[in-house]
Amino acid sequence: MSETILHVEDISKRYNLSRSGSISGDLSKWISSIKYPKSNPDFWALQNINFKLNQGDRLCVTGDNGAGKSTLLKILSKITIPTSGKIYGKGKITSMLEVGTGFHPELNGIENVFLNGAMLGMTKRDIQIKLDEIIDFAQLGDHVNTPVKRYSSGMYMRLAFATAATLHSEIMIMDEVLAVGDQNFREKCIAKLHELSNNFGKTIILVSHDKANRISLCNKEIILSKGKMI
Amino acid sequence: MIKPMWLIRPKEPLISFRITELKQYRYLISQLIYRDLIASYKQTLLGPAWLIIHPLITTVIFSIVFGSIIKISTDGLPQPVFYLSGIICWNYFSECLLRTSTVFKDNANIFGKVYFPRIIVPLSLSISMFFRLVIHVLLLITIMLIVPHQPYQISVMRIITIVPLVITLIAMLGVGLGLIFACLTIKFKDLNFVIIFSLQLTMYTTTVIFPLSSAPKNMAPFILANPITGLIEAFRYALFNTGGLDVISSAYCISSAIVLFSIGYIVFNRMERTYIDFI
Repeated sequence: MSETILHVEDISKRYNLSRSGSISGDLSKWISSIKYPKSNPDFWALQNINFKLNQGDRLCVTGDNGAGKSTLLKILSKITIPTSGKIYGKGKITSMLEVGTGFHPELNGIENVFLNGAMLGMTKRDIQIKLDEIIDFAQLGDHVNTPVKRYSSGMYMRLAFATAATLHSEIMIMDEVLAVGDQNFREKCIAKLHELSNNFGKTIILVSHDKANRISLCNKEIILSKGKMI
Repeated sequence: MIKPMWLIRPKEPLISFRITELKQYRYLISQLIYRDLIASYKQTLLGPAWLIIHPLITTVIFSIVFGSIIKISTDGLPQPVFYLSGIICWNYFSECLLRTSTVFKDNANIFGKVYFPRIIVPLSLSISMFFRLVIHVLLLITIMLIVPHQPYQISVMRIITIVPLVITLIAMLGVGLGLIFACLTIKFKDLNFVIIFSLQLTMYTTTVIFPLSSAPKNMAPFILANPITGLIEAFRYALFNTGGLDVISSAYCISSAIVLFSIGYIVFNRMERTYIDFI
């Protein structure tokens, strides 16, 4: 059961803050870098991050704003690459870095579930099997046939969470998604996440500022401060 | 259950084909094609009719301006047939190029949140453009049947051997250039205007509105320097047995398509991993 599923090895990420966006700006930057080789405009968003997660772990990442939480999740979900270090993983990763990512406003709820599932690399059959479960969990009723641009933000969020949580992969990444939605639905989400990790052995990585969520949900915790683990 | 192993590292090999990874996402390809074809016509006045209206109006205007007023030769073909066959090729090229060049910009929202091989988007765009092309070809056939003309010298053999190759090369040129510009526009956003502007002007230097045979002999190499010219000529040759292309020009078209597409593919693969840090 406790097989290592994610191994983050010495990950660092550097951002170059002095990017200008014009040819003359780039030239003057290049000249000044020759004149003053000591000046270093680089910003290290993450430095030497190491951790291991086993199957069924629920990791909580916390830290102040700008501590590097989102950068870490972006690297884990392959949105951007680390400047140095390696990550070994097993199985698919689903990331919900923002609610309702990839929903197309003109398409209706069901069409968007298929589109979203496809972006997670699933096949039509995989999604069809889970469709009823998703619609049921999202409590959308007849609105599944309405274009999602007409949805309230709560409905949008419920559909997005239901899609991600039902079309689950081995590793699930969630960036403060629990902050949205009403109390009822939040409790339902937490119960669902527990079920996923306990019954299905899914590994969950979560960013949350809410202490209550953290305690009730997670068995491991990483605290980031200025890009370093403390 | 099989759990594929993966590794994230700062550097990847320069050329990677990732066929197995693309195969895994084939349902996404079909979904993106569907989304592009269906969703773009929701809440519109005429819907998919625009597909036909646009080339039709262009053909009419060209026939009036270039055919009746300026009286440019059309190689013995009826004017609408001549212009439409050129417009079809040019539109496929320019749409592939334009849509691909804005891939990063149009999908910044999705690319910033979900991972999948980014090349899937230009790939599915060129396929959905291909469906539009098929409809345009059907329109061309309809016009050939309506407009009176002595029987066309149609050879099925010639069409089967040349047309698929020509279409593939046009797509490779459009997508290849589009991929290169997609990477450049991340850094320099005003390049997008340059693309739109130069596409409009370049069309008049290709054989959309005149046959190669009526161009001055000393200008021909300059006109043929744009590989689309050669491909339009080959397309018309396949369909109507007019014009035609020598071996050197054909080899030039084929090799430029392969080179530009390869450059675009390599540059795009490198850029897709870090581009989100740049915008």
